[in-house]
Amino acid sequence: MNMLKVPLQIFRHKPGQPSRYDTFTVEIPDSAHVIDAIDAAWAVHDPSLTFRRACHHSSCGSCAIRINGVEKLPCITKLSDVWDGRTPLRLDPLRNFPVVSDLVVDISGFFQRMSAAEMAITCEAEAFLPFTVDRFAVAELEPKAVELPADFSRFNRFEQCIECGICMSACPTMAADERFLGPAGLAAIYQARHKTDDSRKVAHLLGLADGEHGVWRCHSAFECTEACPQAVDPAGKIMALRRELIARRFSKLWGK
Amino acid sequence: MGNVGAEKEKLEIAPHVIIIGAGSTGSATAHDLTLRGLRVTVIERGEVAFGTTGRNHCLLHSGGRYCVTDRESAIECIDENMILRKIMPDLLELNDGLFVALTEADLAFKERFLEGCAACHIPATDISVDHALAIEPFLNPKILAAVRVPDGVFEPFRFCLAFLATARENGAVVRTYTEVTDLLCSAKNVTGVKIQDHRTGKKETLDADLIVNAAGPWAGEIAAKAKVTVPEIPTAGVMVALDCRLNNMVLNRLNKPSDGDIVVPQRATSVIGTTSWVVEDPDLITIPAEHVDRMISQGEQLIPAVRKVPMRAKMAVARPLIAKSGTDARDVSRTFECFDHERDGMNGFVTIAGGKTTTARAMAEKVTDIVCRKLDVRAECRTRDTLLASYRLFFQQSDPRNGSSVSSG
Amino acid sequence: MATLDSRRVSRAGRWLDVRRRRLGMWAYALNRITGIGLVVYLYLHLGILSLLTRGQSAWDSFVSLARSPFYLALDVILLAGILIHGLNGMRIALTGCGIGVGAQKAIFIVLMIVGAIALGVAALKIFHI
Repeated sequence: MNMLKVPLQIFRHKPGQPSRYDTFTVEIPDSAHVIDAIDAAWAVHDPSLTFRRACHHSSCGSCAIRINGVEKLPCITKLSDVWDGRTPLRLDPLRNFPVVSDLVVDISGFFQRMSAAEMAITCEAEAFLPFTVDRFAVAELEPKAVELPADFSRFNRFEQCIECGICMSACPTMAADERFLGPAGLAAIYQARHKTDDSRKVAHLLGLADGEHGVWRCHSAFECTEACPQAVDPAGKIMALRRELIARRFSKLWGK
Repeated sequence: MGNVGAEKEKLEIAPHVIIIGAGSTGSATAHDLTLRGLRVTVIERGEVAFGTTGRNHCLLHSGGRYCVTDRESAIECIDENMILRKIMPDLLELNDGLFVALTEADLAFKERFLEGCAACHIPATDISVDHALAIEPFLNPKILAAVRVPDGVFEPFRFCLAFLATARENGAVVRTYTEVTDLLCSAKNVTGVKIQDHRTGKKETLDADLIVNAAGPWAGEIAAKAKVTVPEIPTAGVMVALDCRLNNMVLNRLNKPSDGDIVVPQRATSVIGTTSWVVEDPDLITIPAEHVDRMISQGEQLIPAVRKVPMRAKMAVARPLIAKSGTDARDVSRTFECFDHERDGMNGFVTIAGGKTTTARAMAEKVTDIVCRKLDVRAECRTRDTLLASYRLFFQQSDPRNGSSVSSG
Repeated sequence: MATLDSRRVSRAGRWLDVRRRRLGMWAYALNRITGIGLVVYLYLHLGILSLLTRGQSAWDSFVSLARSPFYLALDVILLAGILIHGLNGMRIALTGCGIGVGAQKAIFIVLMIVGAIALGVAALKIFHI
């Protein structure tokens, strides 16, 4: 295990002061993830550095930031994948969210949207294993069917979406429309819609999707799907909602 | 909504309790205290679950792990397991767990295991190896036995958020990114805290009728500011999260607890854990490479395919284990302890240390009982039956000290 | 719902920075730039057509200008804009209705190759080669 001296260029902002970048050099193992670097900067150099984190394994979604301008989860981003060995690693908060302090952004608007979508954070598990968000990870494994124990109607799991906000930061429409539900909100509406049979709830969810700040505001940049660390594919879900809305409109036209 | 004016008035004259730390203990305690009518402020230096709770193994214990070696702990676990299923039903993966025998020694342990489960009222079913391999196709085909128990999986961040959101709905104040820099003490009492809000840099003083020290492995550091000690040994452990989920159920080794004997699935990953070593500074833990390698080789024994899957993440954090007699870190009890520092000469200051997230609600009940007794508040604990509010509310409730809005360009 | 972020003017131009963004975002930016270009061209075109109202000599002198190599090159650029915007527009119309979403990157590449070939052929014809 080699220890490396890594220069970090971290965005700093405190209310009432101009923003700036601070450079910290941290000593961390070469096998470390970027979150370890931020942790070291805070623990060794500056306890006033504010940043979010909790689980360190892409489950809580709290640590999302931009690393060299690109949205990532530092807890699963290996230092070796983003650092060239010389240039300071630039760390910025997510875009399209108000900055509270340093790398911490205000996610209240984001969670209002997720609440409105009413997606339960657990769902039915697949009937086979392995389950992954990274298809390259299971390249060497054959999928195997899972039998359920007699007294179980299903296995359940947490939804892929970890509510990290990366897609909202990557989306160009989020920058332009202040009230856009966003890729996360719309993907959650899609999930919630497909988990229910209640026609009133479906009508309500589709109404949100069809609304002024719903699916029609998307302009097909597809950046959300590219940036999502959990393979949620929000763009695909937005387009699937559009397909359903169009189909329903046609049925109505034809008087079904 | 009820008589809001009268409720607000009651809150204003209620005793004020400050809780240091928004991990599972602090969050559950905030919930219990507010339900009993006290005014609560939670102070957390980072994000919610910034410390030990965040980097937890996420296992909702059935208690099976402790039913032979530590029955008290096992009973706590199964009782709390059932309560959590009631109060946070949408925040859990409930796929049960298997304890599997890989060796003759494991097989011999089975009888004691089943006895232990029965003695601790843990539902345990001995199932056939064929059935185990059918419901868990990536399980090591060489297993000799399997016992099914009601293990589950939670997510520590949202676990804490749910308790805190409920507490906030009931009037609690939660201040994150705010660090306790000192305790205000008179000769025999802790009377308040000095804090610094790192978002703004502003320093403040808060008075309290009582302070609950729920700072986990940092409890000793906090207690030192009142010149009292907490006998805890910060003990770190490494966990390895794989890039795919290879099991639906929690998989445990059917034997006494040891390193790397559990693989907990969660979302799209399987997490192998854990190890134990004492650390000097819980803020700066370097993950030893041999521990990571050991997790992979231990995990491989339960699930051979582990070796073929890349690692998604690795985490380590210090657990706040209470020092009792015995030097092996694993011998240190995992039950929790409340330290009422009045007996150390400092009243108004209570430390709650040790324990695990599965039993956080019970820990909170115990410390809240003590707090209420000390503050002469008569109220029953209602946390066993109170359904928790949606965790998403936490980030929508108003925070009295939010920073300004600035674009980061 | 609460608004996210507050400085509207700087946010509005953010899509222009496509460094480190993926193919979909490049297509988005290209569509916007060609779209703006075509709108500008439309007004120019109408302005030029208004020369017709000034009689034959005004029109003829414009046409001789329009045959210069510089203008022909501008025509090729215009055609490039039309092809990019039109072909990508077809891709957006398809994916926007939920068709071919998974293949959006492949579709973009194929359509741009088709466009490049069409542009090449047209350029040859425009310059009478």
